[in-house]
Amino acid sequence: MSPVLRAWGFVLFSTLLWAQPKDPFIGSQACRACHTAQTQDFFRNAHTKADRACESCHGPGRAHVNAGGKKDLIIAFSALSPQKSLDNCLQCHSKDWSRNNIRRSSHTQAEVVCSNCHSVHKAATPKHLLANQQKDLCYSCHTDVKAQFSMPFKHRVNEGTVQCADCHNPHGAPAPTWRMGQRPRMQQHAQANEQSCVQCHADKRGPFLFEHAAVRVDGCGSCHAAHGSANPRLLNRPVVFTLCLECHNGAPGFGRQGQGIPLQSGSHNMADPRYQNCTTCHVKIHGSNADARFLR
Amino acid sequence: MKRILLGLLLAASIQAQPVVAPTPERAGEAKGEDLAGYNVVNSIETGYRFRTVDGNLGKYRSDVNFGNGIRVLGSYLTINSKKPGAGKLFDEIVLSTQGLGNDPYQFSSLRVQKDKIYRFDSVWRWMDYFNPALTIANGQHAINSTRQLQDHDLILLPQSRFRLLLGYSRNQQDGPSFSTIQFPDGRGDEFTYLWNIRRTRNEYRLGTEFEVLKTKVHVLHGWEYFRDDTRAPLFSPGAGANPADTATLTQFRRDEPTHGQAPYWRIGIHNEALKSFTFDGRFTHTTGQRNFVVDELAIGTGRFSAAQNRQVFVGGNARRPVTTGNVTLSWFPLERLTLTNHTALYNTRMEGEGSYGEFANAVGGLNFLNFQYLGIRTFANLTDANLKLTPWLGLYSGYHFSERRIGSSQFEDIDPPARLDRSEQTNRLHSGLLGLRLQPVKQLRLSVDGELGRADRPFYTTSEKDYHAVAARAQWKTKRWSLLGRYQTNYNLNSNSLFVHSARTRLASIDGAFTPKPFLTLEAGYGHTHIETVTGLAYFSLGELIENDRSLYRSRLRQVRLGAQLNLARRADLYFGYHRIQDAARLGQSLMDQAFPLTYETPLARFSLQLHKKLRWNFGWQYYNYREQFLALQDYTAHTGYTSLSWSF
Repeated sequence: MSPVLRAWGFVLFSTLLWAQPKDPFIGSQACRACHTAQTQDFFRNAHTKADRACESCHGPGRAHVNAGGKKDLIIAFSALSPQKSLDNCLQCHSKDWSRNNIRRSSHTQAEVVCSNCHSVHKAATPKHLLANQQKDLCYSCHTDVKAQFSMPFKHRVNEGTVQCADCHNPHGAPAPTWRMGQRPRMQQHAQANEQSCVQCHADKRGPFLFEHAAVRVDGCGSCHAAHGSANPRLLNRPVVFTLCLECHNGAPGFGRQGQGIPLQSGSHNMADPRYQNCTTCHVKIHGSNADARFLR
Repeated sequence: MKRILLGLLLAASIQAQPVVAPTPERAGEAKGEDLAGYNVVNSIETGYRFRTVDGNLGKYRSDVNFGNGIRVLGSYLTINSKKPGAGKLFDEIVLSTQGLGNDPYQFSSLRVQKDKIYRFDSVWRWMDYFNPALTIANGQHAINSTRQLQDHDLILLPQSRFRLLLGYSRNQQDGPSFSTIQFPDGRGDEFTYLWNIRRTRNEYRLGTEFEVLKTKVHVLHGWEYFRDDTRAPLFSPGAGANPADTATLTQFRRDEPTHGQAPYWRIGIHNEALKSFTFDGRFTHTTGQRNFVVDELAIGTGRFSAAQNRQVFVGGNARRPVTTGNVTLSWFPLERLTLTNHTALYNTRMEGEGSYGEFANAVGGLNFLNFQYLGIRTFANLTDANLKLTPWLGLYSGYHFSERRIGSSQFEDIDPPARLDRSEQTNRLHSGLLGLRLQPVKQLRLSVDGELGRADRPFYTTSEKDYHAVAARAQWKTKRWSLLGRYQTNYNLNSNSLFVHSARTRLASIDGAFTPKPFLTLEAGYGHTHIETVTGLAYFSLGELIENDRSLYRSRLRQVRLGAQLNLARRADLYFGYHRIQDAARLGQSLMDQAFPLTYETPLARFSLQLHKKLRWNFGWQYYNYREQFLALQDYTAHTGYTSLSWSF
């Protein structure tokens, strides 16, 4: 192409560019020129479906491009406050049922927002675009929970068949339907309104003719350490009878009628090892349809 | 060397690998290969796992359970259309599996989607569960069952304003187990019998999400069907648990099918039409019902060697409707201030009826079982404020209030004639929360949280009454270093004039990771958790009521984690890990003074070598060492390992 033609072409292009309305969006093609690493494999990313691709999240890019890539003319998530970052993602992601409580979730209060766990450009998992494997993400802050899952008895999170999100909603959960409705704060509700435990342990859900009130009133955590324990069946105590007797001590002021949780029978001699494994006889301890004392 | 050792001591375990296989490194190009408009990434790891166990095999199976044999240790496949929406039947397939074929923990996850048309997610899990139940029931309640879980969800028109949701979940538990029965009556000897667990739960879901008047609506109806056909076929139990008791049980059979359904509704509303205000509403209702029958036959001899037979028949149904309503209001009066208020109402009642018939030596009768009514109504109102004062300083506070009313009625039949006792109990809990977030420099984040709660009438002696919790956390993160320190304490005091329950938990941990070179990562962590509880006890011993005893429980958990990851010449990966958990509490001096001292350590090493760009050879070893003072016969050591090939096609 001759230099004259090139000059005329440049004049024509500039005129057209000047004449068209000032659309602040420039299109994702322009992003590729500089952000190769981010755009190269972006066809795998769910965000390719967004109406304006890159500019759906990062905002209009024309000014940023025209200024030669000036950082403050584009939305850079690394520079956003946690609140702003959350607002940006929720523009599209607020409609999902599971995010109803994200504004008041413990994570949001602790300034742990979307970009702390999700990585749009360097996701370790194609599903949910997590920055790391789910358990490793959670463990990176919840080191005490990590220790619990290394106990001899545990849910198989490290082994890969159970995930944190099976029981917890990291985006925030509604008030729990057990205990006093305040804590725990981030627990997933099974089905519509049950403790997450019964999603798998369906036989413990009931309803039963005779409910063990502890299960309904204070929840499974009354007796079990859900993450992990040194004790069989994830119990809170190594020996069963103390677990039972700590409530069944007849202490006045507690229980259904304020007269205490019923004391054990006088025929039970606690000095005899026979009576030290309560669930040997009280086999249906979560609830029974045949016996008020959970014997069958 | 000194620097490395220092790094090891300070660095934290960010990604500990507690199970040696599958190998995290994959064969094949990470970028994948292009094929007919799609990009394909895949890697399959097939190999042999081995184990040798010394000591208690049952306990090993309960804790670890990896066995010998060939299996597909892991696989990974993604297929993506190169142009968004250009795929004919699908635009994306993501499939990952683990342990298929022989492992005790098997998992597969699948996603298939076509832009704007559908998205299908499926998760399948299978677990081999074994528990010898030595500690809690002298082996009388051993379980050897498998559990299979499936969840399938299909979303039609996933990116439109109107979405259709369909789902199916299945949960199945099968396998033999032991249980116990008393014979000839409630004060009789305990006999162990075998029964076959057969439980199935199916759940179907149908729902929609749509937008109307700038309000997003979610409506879902689910149907849950539960079947428990666990039965004890005719069985001849052995001797009873108590040699002094002369009763015998020669034949025993029990069928106790329980079938039921729990249809449920859940409705969600989300509105953010106003820029400074969002509204979230949530309503759920479940009507759970179970129909049950118990048919039991026991034949043997009584305490005085007289022939004894007992037949029990129970039938009836139980219902538990549950309704919840939640409203969350979020208000942003200033750019840096968020106020949220969450109101929740929960209401449930348990009701039903049943009949009980018992014939002992053909003499007996039919009684109606009176349902023990239990109704719970909880109201909670939770207000929180989050204020970002400056870019480096944030404050958080909250006031939470809840009231729970428990209505109860039960027939008291100790002194005939039976009488109905009704009661009602109300508990109110007020709690306040306060938190501080600091980020003085970009690399450092500090936070402190506190919570104080006061309940006026908890239901149980071990429930939360006067409690407080304090947590502090500091995190330092640079490209090469990551350090995390945490401290947390929880204290609960629940007392009245005669009894006291006090529970205190303190935990502290420091974790870190250090990457001195791109090919080397060092990780280490240390944490301790101290738990102490004291609870008043009352019980009978040798016919005497003991009222002033105390239950003590102490736990001193100490955990050490170490790890090193090395990449050699971009072809070989080496990982060393060590994990040790120890409960250092001293074994108690009396029956009511409890601790469970144990040591559980698992060193591991793994080597993965790239033989070809589409082929890797992997080898790993992991050792388990379990030692406890409580019941030494549960101790075991185990060597487990694997060798495998990861390949890509």
